[in-house]
Amino acid sequence: MKISFDRNFDWHLFSLWAILVIFGIFAIITASAAKIGDDIVLKNYYWKQIIWFFISVIVFYLVLKIPLSVIDMLILPLYIFTVILLVIVLFMPAVNNAHSWLFLGGMRFQPSELAKMVMILLVSKLISKDHISELKMLYKALIGVIIPVTLILLEPDFGTTIIFWGSLVFMLMQAGFPLCYLVLLISPIIGVVFSFNWILFVIASLILIYYYYRERLSWVLIAFSSILNTFVFFLTPVLWNSLKSYQQNRIITFFNPIHDPLGAGYQVIQAKIAIGSGQVFGKGFLQGSQKNMNFLPEHHTDFIFSVIGEEFGFIGAFLLLLIFYLFFNRIIYLIKVVSKKEYKIAIAGIFSYLLLQTFINIGMNLGVLPTTGVPLPFISYGGSNLLINSFAVAMVLKYSVYKEL
Amino acid sequence: MKLQSKLVIIYRVLLGIIFLLLSITLFYLQIAKGEHYKEIAKRNYVRIRRIEAARGVIYDEKLNPIAENNPSINLYFRPHLIKNKDDMADFVTSYLPISRESIMKSIYDYRFLRFNEVLLYENITYEQMAVISEKLNYFPELFFKVETLRSYTINNHFTGYVGRINSDEYAIYKEDGYKINSLIGKAGIEKYYERILSGKAGYEVIQVDAHGRSLNIFKENLSKEPENGLHLVLNINLDLQKYINEIFPQSIAGAVVVMNPRTGGVLAYSSFPEYDQNIFASPISTEDWVNLRDNPKKPMLDRVINGSYPPGSTFKTVTGSFGLEKGYINSETLLASCIGGLKIGNRFFKCWTSVGHGRTNFVTALKISCDVFFYDLSKYFKIDEFAAFVEKNHLVEKTGIDLPYEKKGFFPTTEWYTKRLGKYYGSHGIKANLSIGQGEVLVTPVQLCAYFSALANDGVWKKPHLLKKAIGDKTLLYEELENNEGVRLPVSIDHIKLLQDGLWQAVNGAGSTGGAARVPGVNVYGKTGSAENAHGTSTHAWFACYAKWEEPELAVVVFLENAGHGGSMAAPIAGKIISYYNKHIRDK
Repeated sequence: MKISFDRNFDWHLFSLWAILVIFGIFAIITASAAKIGDDIVLKNYYWKQIIWFFISVIVFYLVLKIPLSVIDMLILPLYIFTVILLVIVLFMPAVNNAHSWLFLGGMRFQPSELAKMVMILLVSKLISKDHISELKMLYKALIGVIIPVTLILLEPDFGTTIIFWGSLVFMLMQAGFPLCYLVLLISPIIGVVFSFNWILFVIASLILIYYYYRERLSWVLIAFSSILNTFVFFLTPVLWNSLKSYQQNRIITFFNPIHDPLGAGYQVIQAKIAIGSGQVFGKGFLQGSQKNMNFLPEHHTDFIFSVIGEEFGFIGAFLLLLIFYLFFNRIIYLIKVVSKKEYKIAIAGIFSYLLLQTFINIGMNLGVLPTTGVPLPFISYGGSNLLINSFAVAMVLKYSVYKEL
Repeated sequence: MKLQSKLVIIYRVLLGIIFLLLSITLFYLQIAKGEHYKEIAKRNYVRIRRIEAARGVIYDEKLNPIAENNPSINLYFRPHLIKNKDDMADFVTSYLPISRESIMKSIYDYRFLRFNEVLLYENITYEQMAVISEKLNYFPELFFKVETLRSYTINNHFTGYVGRINSDEYAIYKEDGYKINSLIGKAGIEKYYERILSGKAGYEVIQVDAHGRSLNIFKENLSKEPENGLHLVLNINLDLQKYINEIFPQSIAGAVVVMNPRTGGVLAYSSFPEYDQNIFASPISTEDWVNLRDNPKKPMLDRVINGSYPPGSTFKTVTGSFGLEKGYINSETLLASCIGGLKIGNRFFKCWTSVGHGRTNFVTALKISCDVFFYDLSKYFKIDEFAAFVEKNHLVEKTGIDLPYEKKGFFPTTEWYTKRLGKYYGSHGIKANLSIGQGEVLVTPVQLCAYFSALANDGVWKKPHLLKKAIGDKTLLYEELENNEGVRLPVSIDHIKLLQDGLWQAVNGAGSTGGAARVPGVNVYGKTGSAENAHGTSTHAWFACYAKWEEPELAVVVFLENAGHGGSMAAPIAGKIISYYNKHIRDK
């Protein structure tokens, strides 16, 4: 089959990607500026990001030029390399209490970023084979994911591991792993989540049982799963009470930052004030008072959405949401039209990994999700982050050349 | 393909839900609540202000302050506002006695904690502040804060002192809201009752304007009132404590402990030489530190709980009561005749006087402090049984007084001798030496005082303690914090009475060694001690006693390091203390 590169290249997705990055550069320019009196002081973040943008374009070009077979060959060595980096990073000095940054010369880089992409590429290869049993599929997928996740938990960076599990679920789903089994595997979480209220737990359990019944799951499995969930439900308070109060506090603060207004909760209050005060039209480019007064924390990285909300208002922030929506919607379209099963799985993994980061970050800025150090893809300042995310988009574009028309 | 189209629908629905949720929230914040947030953002900004809790005051039993809080002006800087660190260091060093290196070190130490407030110098005088303030607008990173300085009204060893938290303490205490600049008890009562004294800082979420001036509380329910620390009321009587400081000979190192035998409360607690712990309140100068550290009399050593010494003849009550309990002797038994000493093996063990006491019974032996009686008695002893008996009299284990870093006493066992000498010979000579409180046996003054308290209290041993109660938002009695039930000594009440008789004779009998401690109108029971030791030419002088009116009210231990005989050096001081208590404190 002769593939015509020019004809099949998905210009839609490429343009949406470029718009997002350019939007991000403007956001970083304003986020790195401080207005003192009438003077505007710019820090050098934005031009670094512009350089990273050009590097990303080069990566795009390379990914599209290199034959897929070569990339396939590189996946396993790349995976081993990433695991080594994840081990090395544990011996690096901690930043914000986590050993997640690798320092190299004047540069710094999070190996966990690379690990996400490599894990997706590896697992999609492992589970895409035809006639593979569900059990085998599951254990192959777990092999690919368990090593990086364990190492990242040691850093510790809980937020990043959520994205790993999320991507894994999507990839299994795409590989044809029955949905009801996935639900079965995830369901013990309800025992934890509803451990404070037994009525909600019973309702959730009944809904699940009805769902399993509809899916014609065997009664043995249903009974086993229900007993396991109930066990988790009763065990959670016991485990919880065996923790010391400061340990409990850490966990509460993790899931509910407002609980600790001196710490992470302070950031959320500030982010909400910045976004809210932007109102419909925003305060204008470089004019955000919350940002200028330095009340907004981490405003060029994790809280950049707040700067956008404050300066560009509802119109600007909603526009950004819309571009993201179109971007993800295009990826869904590509999952549909791409020909090979392996590519579908990989794109589904990339889709979920980018979507989860976007959701977690914006949700955190809006104060509806807990604060975890997850940056906003393509927008937040950070070279390695932009590079990896762009590499992910480049891979999607590479796969999408193999369209089923 | 059915599955594929189903999956695409799932993805589309999920994407739709996520972006709908985010859009609705965005709409709510910016359009529905936009005015509200705009109001906050336009004039006001939110900051969290910490409200420090006041540290509890330490009082004596009459509520005279021993440790109190005075205002102190401290100079701080904010690292992120530094424009030129060399200029700042030049400026600060030209007005305050602080070295350039220590400023640079602070800046370096906080290079990753740039938004913190870092303490530069404490307890600045008003004059210095006035001069510095004139030029402060050139250095926006510098600012003053009025905080409190702990000060102590009397030099003593039991209150300890407070200092800035160090990194090890911070690791433990940060969960309780301590900051990197917090003050924390470093020794004594200040350390032991740190959590009661410190209280808990509160905070309020306030709105500040663009200049950082605070306007008002942002949200009432986000604020938290500080919980002030509780004040401590000690059993210490400050008048008695000061009187003891006056009468104790200036040039001699030593210790005095005064306890109430019935409660265990400590009325006076002195270790000489005392030192002024106020010098630890602000950064201590190298000169002061070297003087303190290298002083041959070791003023920093708390001899009451950290000094362990051979008890000398004060230990004869223990030896005698062991003999009585084991039935080796009774009140009538006469042992070997004292001819100024006793020959044991090839060696002649001298009595303290060469006069010779003849054959004595136990009470007389205590009265005249005849060593030979106890030398002879010790031949019956098994060393491990004796060691166990000493331990049960609370002379080895820590007493559990409410102070940190208490030291244990020591009494040797077969096992110890085997380790030290390779073999234990069980010789009579070793036991004879131990029987008069010489050799390897060591006790701390507080252990001895608790032991004599127990003798006064008819054999019930009480844990010595300084704290009477904590007062403030709530009242906590010492008994609520720690178990203060008495423990019986392993001595029968008949034998206790016999010991008491001997101790009374040792002060009031004809030819007694403790006559200098007699006080008219008060029954004083006591025992002298002169302990030979490796550290000096003259003996340690001991006097341990208790005083009884209708009930025993006072147990006193006086200890003077290398000062001579207990009867001539220590007993008069104990007498004066009891006399002072009788005249000025009792019935008032």
